[in-house]
Amino acid sequence: MDKIIEIQNATKEFKVLNRREGLRGSIKDLFSRNYNIVRAVNDISIEIGSGEIVGYLGPNGAGKSTTIKMMTGVLEPTSGKILVNGNVPYKNRTKNAQEIGVVFGQRSQLWWSLPLIESFKILKDIYQIEDSDYNKMMEFYRSLVDIEPLLHKPVRQMSLGQRTLSDILAAFLHNPKVVFLDEPTIGLDVSMKSKIRVLIQALNCEKNTTVILTTHDMGDVDALCRRVVIIDKGKMLYDNDIDHLKNFFGSYRTLKIRLDEICDRDEKTLKEISQKLSEEMSEEFSGDKNPAVSTDNEWINVLVNEDKLAVMDALNFIQTKHTIKDMKLEEISTEDVIKKIYEGGV
Amino acid sequence: MNVKKHLTLTRAGIIESLQFRLSSLVIIAGNFIYLIIVYYLWKAIYASVDTESVNGMTFSDTLIYLVLATSLFGFMEMYLVWQMGRDIQSGKIILDISKPMKYMPFMFWSLSGSVVMSFIMTFIPTFVAVYFLTNGAIHLGINILFFLISVVFAIIINFSIDFFIGTVCLYTESIWGINIMKEVIVLLLSGATIPIAFFPEPLKTIVLYLPFQSIYNVPLTILTKSEMPVEEVFKMMLTQVFWAAAAMLISSLFWKKSLKVITVNGG
Repeated sequence: MDKIIEIQNATKEFKVLNRREGLRGSIKDLFSRNYNIVRAVNDISIEIGSGEIVGYLGPNGAGKSTTIKMMTGVLEPTSGKILVNGNVPYKNRTKNAQEIGVVFGQRSQLWWSLPLIESFKILKDIYQIEDSDYNKMMEFYRSLVDIEPLLHKPVRQMSLGQRTLSDILAAFLHNPKVVFLDEPTIGLDVSMKSKIRVLIQALNCEKNTTVILTTHDMGDVDALCRRVVIIDKGKMLYDNDIDHLKNFFGSYRTLKIRLDEICDRDEKTLKEISQKLSEEMSEEFSGDKNPAVSTDNEWINVLVNEDKLAVMDALNFIQTKHTIKDMKLEEISTEDVIKKIYEGGV
Repeated sequence: MNVKKHLTLTRAGIIESLQFRLSSLVIIAGNFIYLIIVYYLWKAIYASVDTESVNGMTFSDTLIYLVLATSLFGFMEMYLVWQMGRDIQSGKIILDISKPMKYMPFMFWSLSGSVVMSFIMTFIPTFVAVYFLTNGAIHLGINILFFLISVVFAIIINFSIDFFIGTVCLYTESIWGINIMKEVIVLLLSGATIPIAFFPEPLKTIVLYLPFQSIYNVPLTILTKSEMPVEEVFKMMLTQVFWAAAAMLISSLFWKKSLKVITVNGG
């Protein structure tokens, strides 16, 4: 697979003024030279092949947007090398812009007071799209989503979902090689989210467009990305398949059980029983094997690391001590793993 | 240069300003109120002196000049600083920067549509009204053509100055104070609020060496003083060309340099 994006040891530093408190502090700040160097992106290297959909994840303020801004050519890296489709983005900004598309979930590139079709026509001229290509693309859009009612609606009258959908279509209009989607599903309802996921998937599939997706919705990641890159505090934490991600902390599964002893589902008794179970388990299984026990509303959760301990063994053991009324087994979700990574489980 | 790429933005601007009919009406009404104030202010000034003309300008000369200056302001002012400031604060500017066009021409052509529209909707009606009310005090001849050319340069100079100030917003991340200061300086030193003929001597000379008078004073002088020899007109227009080129160059260099050090808000 040919590489479309290459980032080598990219670092971006910002100079930030140290602000002081209060009115006096603010006045002093006017003459202050007291700057702090903040490293928003710290020595990141990524290679992305064409046609991939990569989930670019990280907690708020991790440096995701800064990386995207460097790839679009808005920011120049302090050090390191970035190549997007063979261009150095910040040097050949206009040339690079011709071959990329950008969507920011919270902002729109569309002409606010004009009907959508006018925005498309303007973009057609700006990106110098051939008539035939443009018509083909519009035909393709029509086959994917019901855009007819949107085309003649001014953008400012659209709902957030319609606007985001339109923004995504606008970003793909000139058939770019790479599209950056920055939180495209932010603030959308469930059905619109799934529509947008289907749309992104279809566009990626048909046009072989590389998609870099940042999001805080793990549903997006599960639905779209086979590969995930996670950064935090500017540093890369993880870069691999999503399947590996689930095994990142060992292969965990949650065994949820309900015991006969809890009839009235009193929270206090539930806690006591789970406490008891926890003690029993730690007597039986030592060290790594010992599963963590917690409770939620009705269930007692036993988090089992399957590399160390078979779920059946745990279940058998519990059965010797208690009467199990009901049970179910849950895979650990992407969300749980990501949460663990964000919270510093690495 | 691809013409279509740029004209499509002008076209979009025209359609956009047609969407806001009420807003253009309000602007016309606002200008009208301003002109009433101007009328009584200068009437009082002329009433306080005994002579017919002050600094070589009669009451009707001054009034024609100021009415035209106001309507010139009405279409030359693109409110670029506000827009750039807002886009910087909201972070929308990233989307404009990542278009396959340089940012400065992108903004110029995006705003050009509204300039064309206000020229048609406010300047032409005002001009016609002034022409008939003064019984043809404005000569209709080659001076109209010179005026139109001169206005184009004036727009370029005005835009470049605005663009420069807008770029400053990248550093300050605040707009209001800077923009108000710019407006006051430009309007005063360009002769839009008070005709330059009224300026005291040393200031008058200084102003003639600054770029601002090329924005309002030059086109208005060309329009109203049809008796001016052609060499004089060309000399004035050459100054404009010089300032247009210089302002454009300085602004685009400043922008290019600034973009390297900025941090764009958001995310």
